[in-house]
Amino acid sequence: MLRLRFHGRGGQGAKVASRVLGSAAFLDGYNAQDFPLYGAERRGAPITAFTRISRDDIMERGLVSQPDVVVVMDETLLLDPQSSPLSGLKKGGVVFVNTPRTPFETKEGYGIEDHVITLDITKVSLDMIGQPVLSSLAAAVAAKVAGIGEKALRDALKKELSAIISEKDLLDRNIEAAIYCYNSVEPISIETTEKVREKENIISIPFETALVSSPSILSRGNTPLRRTGNWRIFRPVWDYDACTKCMTCVARCPEGCIRLNEEGYPFADYENCKGCLICAEECPVGAISKVRESHSQTKEGDQ
Amino acid sequence: MDSENIRSIKELPPEENMQPGTAACAGCGGLLTLRYCLKALGENIVIVNAAGCFTLLTIYPFSPFRNSWLYTAMACAPAGAQGVRDALDILIKKGKLDPEENLKVVVLAGDGSAYDMALSSTSGAIYRNLDFYYICYDNEAYGNTGFQHSGASPFGSRTGTTPPGEKVPVGSQLQKKNLFDIWNSHKPPYLATVSPAYPVDLMNKFKKAEQFKGPKLFISHIPCPPGWGFDPSQSVKLAKLSVETGLWPLKESIHGEVEHTFVPKKFKPVEEYLQAQERFSHLFKPERQEDALKSIQEMVDEYWRKNTLLP
Repeated sequence: MLRLRFHGRGGQGAKVASRVLGSAAFLDGYNAQDFPLYGAERRGAPITAFTRISRDDIMERGLVSQPDVVVVMDETLLLDPQSSPLSGLKKGGVVFVNTPRTPFETKEGYGIEDHVITLDITKVSLDMIGQPVLSSLAAAVAAKVAGIGEKALRDALKKELSAIISEKDLLDRNIEAAIYCYNSVEPISIETTEKVREKENIISIPFETALVSSPSILSRGNTPLRRTGNWRIFRPVWDYDACTKCMTCVARCPEGCIRLNEEGYPFADYENCKGCLICAEECPVGAISKVRESHSQTKEGDQ
Repeated sequence: MDSENIRSIKELPPEENMQPGTAACAGCGGLLTLRYCLKALGENIVIVNAAGCFTLLTIYPFSPFRNSWLYTAMACAPAGAQGVRDALDILIKKGKLDPEENLKVVVLAGDGSAYDMALSSTSGAIYRNLDFYYICYDNEAYGNTGFQHSGASPFGSRTGTTPPGEKVPVGSQLQKKNLFDIWNSHKPPYLATVSPAYPVDLMNKFKKAEQFKGPKLFISHIPCPPGWGFDPSQSVKLAKLSVETGLWPLKESIHGEVEHTFVPKKFKPVEEYLQAQERFSHLFKPERQEDALKSIQEMVDEYWRKNTLLP
């Protein structure tokens, strides 16, 4: 049996990806299971989805805690201790990471020892579909890794996506982009052992007094520590030659994370800017442009 | 706070009483409204939060607020506010709390709570003349749990529980409740509708409300990017469109007397607002549902005609 786990953010399509993969496997003659796991819904929250594929009956139920394949749709999740996409991955398993970097750079950058495959599916999605929605693309990559046939994938995409997408044109572009990703990934044979990588195992924390070990609920306004800046796909960038210091962007930011520098020009707190780009949309002189975010390049030192 | 009105966004108070890094969706119109409200209310408040999207703002151990926060079930935020108000009053009376350190009690509720579940407890609180602020962020559905139909969902909209289909191609067949009129019939000291696209108007309404003791109620119409289906960057544009088309009248009521605070010089057609959202897309394709579109426009026209602001 092949066990896969998808890690994405709310709105990216991890749930639909696992669903498309499950259907594709089924249409290719396998038994399959797929299901998501998330809390209260919201865009940007870490989401997990699971797929089990097997020639035999699948008697196993519940979450996949020891996957053979992990699909990471947002690479910033690799640094998120709450999400921990690599936990429980079996030795010899495969990790797919959505990043512009090469597999080697990704392995080095995040200290991954397992087999890594990379592809910038966000870029493919923006170029071919026009929106950063990754469900069909992640499903296609996973289908290739799992050894599912192209026809089964195509049929599954048509079946699952037509229930959500009413525009035929958009549906076609989704399928086309998915097949492109499918063909961009080299076939691979997965031979996992029953051993789980040790790095992510449960750690024990030494006893500390409550003052040290428990978070302080009395500290006020501490959400900036959550650093929601990694939700961003585009970042707003100011052109101070055009800026008239009119304060519109400062006023219109829902998060309130645009401030003024000493000269009175606005700048964003990129640690927390979610990239909604209302600022760019509302700027009366068009001084704010949107630039594709590349988290892997800014990891070492966000400017 | 001085009673002088502010005239432009440059005059908005610079203090931020809500920190970034919340779990709200990118481009959340409700968050923008809340940010303005907190600028107007200041730091010395207690927020009584009914279950809803904004439950996610304060997740242990994180809080974006500089003030205290109490979480209640969907149906009982005004009852929670009564408890907090009473506790503060008793502490002041017993001399255990300096009146200088008195706090404003603020209820924060989504439309699911305000229009449906907490309607009776809100009515009770207004009836008892409870001294509190009530802010309803109205995204026209139960946004936090998958955008299901609420008492605020408008006619013709697609929600999680009113998908347009063969039998009912129009989506929701029910009209949005008129919460403003329901509340206004209680004759509260102060009641207003606000919009995140008009922060100056919003801020001045809060300033005006300050002089009244008793319930001070605000309903804000807010765009919801995932629920309504539009790009997060368009949030303010859509909030503005809902006012400019006449769908969301900006008005206030003092002891039951209603006055409009902003009347568009020329009303934009409602279609412009509807067309920009995925939740109304079924009204335009595969074929235009003329009857539905016409009845939405007529409903808006009738409102303004009735208020003699339209010929």
